Amino acid sequence: MNGAGTSPARELALSTSAPELELTFRDPAGELWLEAGCALRRIRPAAEEETRAFLASPLRKSLEQSGDLISTRVAYPSEHSRVAAGELWLEHPRIDPISYPWEWSTGQWRAAAELTLRIAGQAIDAGWTLKDATPLNILFSGPRPVLVDVLSFERRDRHSSVWLAYGQFVRTFLLPLVAAKYLSWPLAATLFARDGYEPRQIYEALPRWRRLNPKLLDVVTLATVFERTGKARASSGQAGSKTNPDLARHVLKKRLARLAKQIEHAAGERSQSQWSRYAQTASHYKAADVEEKQQFVKSVLAQCRPQRVLDIGANTGAYSLLATDAGASVVALDNDGAALERLWQRALEREQPITALVADIARPTPAAGWRNREHLSLLDRLTSGFDMVLMLAVVHHLILRHQLPLGHIAGLCASLTRRWLLLEWVPPSDPMFQEWLRGRDDLYGHLTEDDLRNSFVPYFGVVDRAALGNGRVLLLFDRLLGQDHIGIEAEFQSAGGGKE
Amino acid sequence: MAARVRLRIPFFAPPSEDCHQTVESPLNRIKLLQILPVALILVGAVLAFERPAYAYADPGTGLLAVQAAGSALVATGWYLRRKIASFFRSGGHSVLEPAQQPVNLDGEESRNQ
Repeated sequence: MNGAGTSPARELALSTSAPELELTFRDPAGELWLEAGCALRRIRPAAEEETRAFLASPLRKSLEQSGDLISTRVAYPSEHSRVAAGELWLEHPRIDPISYPWEWSTGQWRAAAELTLRIAGQAIDAGWTLKDATPLNILFSGPRPVLVDVLSFERRDRHSSVWLAYGQFVRTFLLPLVAAKYLSWPLAATLFARDGYEPRQIYEALPRWRRLNPKLLDVVTLATVFERTGKARASSGQAGSKTNPDLARHVLKKRLARLAKQIEHAAGERSQSQWSRYAQTASHYKAADVEEKQQFVKSVLAQCRPQRVLDIGANTGAYSLLATDAGASVVALDNDGAALERLWQRALEREQPITALVADIARPTPAAGWRNREHLSLLDRLTSGFDMVLMLAVVHHLILRHQLPLGHIAGLCASLTRRWLLLEWVPPSDPMFQEWLRGRDDLYGHLTEDDLRNSFVPYFGVVDRAALGNGRVLLLFDRLLGQDHIGIEAEFQSAGGGKE
Repeated sequence: MAARVRLRIPFFAPPSEDCHQTVESPLNRIKLLQILPVALILVGAVLAFERPAYAYADPGTGLLAVQAAGSALVATGWYLRRKIASFFRSGGHSVLEPAQQPVNLDGEESRNQ
């Protein structure tokens, strides 16, 4: 039952557990490892002097104090077995979960881009520069973006008006936003474009008249033209001339200001969707039902006191905010970018510890990057990471839109929560269930609350229940003791799970 | 470590006029009109002198040239800002104050000879 021991299923589960990450091997200055409670960064000897100088600089202190840069301390061999004597190692706190740019809403992209430009500006004033500028250097700690790569800083040549990372910033921050705004290329597609989009890709996809848009003229059209003409003289070289330091600084600041305006333009207005106004437009909920539901959720949160909550199908975050009010930190998932944007904005305004991820639990973000080990899959980041999972009015979507059997949904929930699961059952008589049923009554029209309970019995016991006036039911499940996520995988495999 | 880029930035010759010279407004306009084509030629020159860059993060050929062109334009405005201001001053005389002396690209203040 519990799947413990050395059954073949358990061995299979063990062998397919999360792979070890291979992080930041591209940066010649150092490499990174994720440990249980911290991140460790080894600095290569060639970069040691400059790294120490940055760590001792007022710029680093100022950025850490403002929360824009991850905090750093020197790590010693006596503290970590991985740290070698005679080498410079740094320790950072872990930001959990890791959020990748392909799981950000438009507003989060903009916030991350503006943070990068703000830091670049401060660095210029302090005699430093960012040598790289990619969204992959930013993580969201709750709703706030944080630069996590201290190796991005290098001393600035006072006579140079070139920002080496300009091209990377344009490709990885600006052009994905441009593509999303004018070409409807989803930001999630950047999963397949580690270094962003080339200006030529956007140029060729844009309508001709759009190529002359003043906000796109330089980064798309001129860049494409210059790239074509530049190839012919790629081998020509000229000695560099030195620019007046004041002028160099002036040019760099102007460039950052221009980029900030372009980001603002490309991020555009807030979008709306069916789900972003769900709470205001839902006709299947009366005010009394909403009140009743909120009271039950509040009482459950007060009773269970979870530290970490996963809100699946979080929409605009009404219940995520209830969880933070109860003292939990929340990871909120929704596949609707417009709805999640509102959630993120609310969390930012209220300074609540909510990490918002645009992701589909039915089709979770896969692992990506070099050998599929550079970026973890969504489930690798979420598995067994929560004291409570909220799944409010989500199950009928998984059944009707993704054709997922109840047993599979139960197995997923059991792998995500260490203890509690709060689930809202939407019966076939509900208007939202009927909307997605679409004539498949024989397949799904007979499902009952008992079917749900029976599917969850192998993993959970029901400890509380509330029936709402609109026919929906809230169920609080407690996970059976003695099961870890590997045991759950084994249980799932031995029950024939994973087969079509 | 990542190699550094050496990018050619156009040479801007410092203005040669006496910084205390009093300039009639129409003459000022004519001089500005003479300078603008030169500035445009310099913008073109910067593109011709663009050289390949090698760095940890790919600077991109086209985007590097865009930077160079943008630098040239900003630098032109930086040098001409006083003249542009006086250009729009109608009818009066504009005098360059000692504190407003033009500065050349090599970091040396231009001196009165």
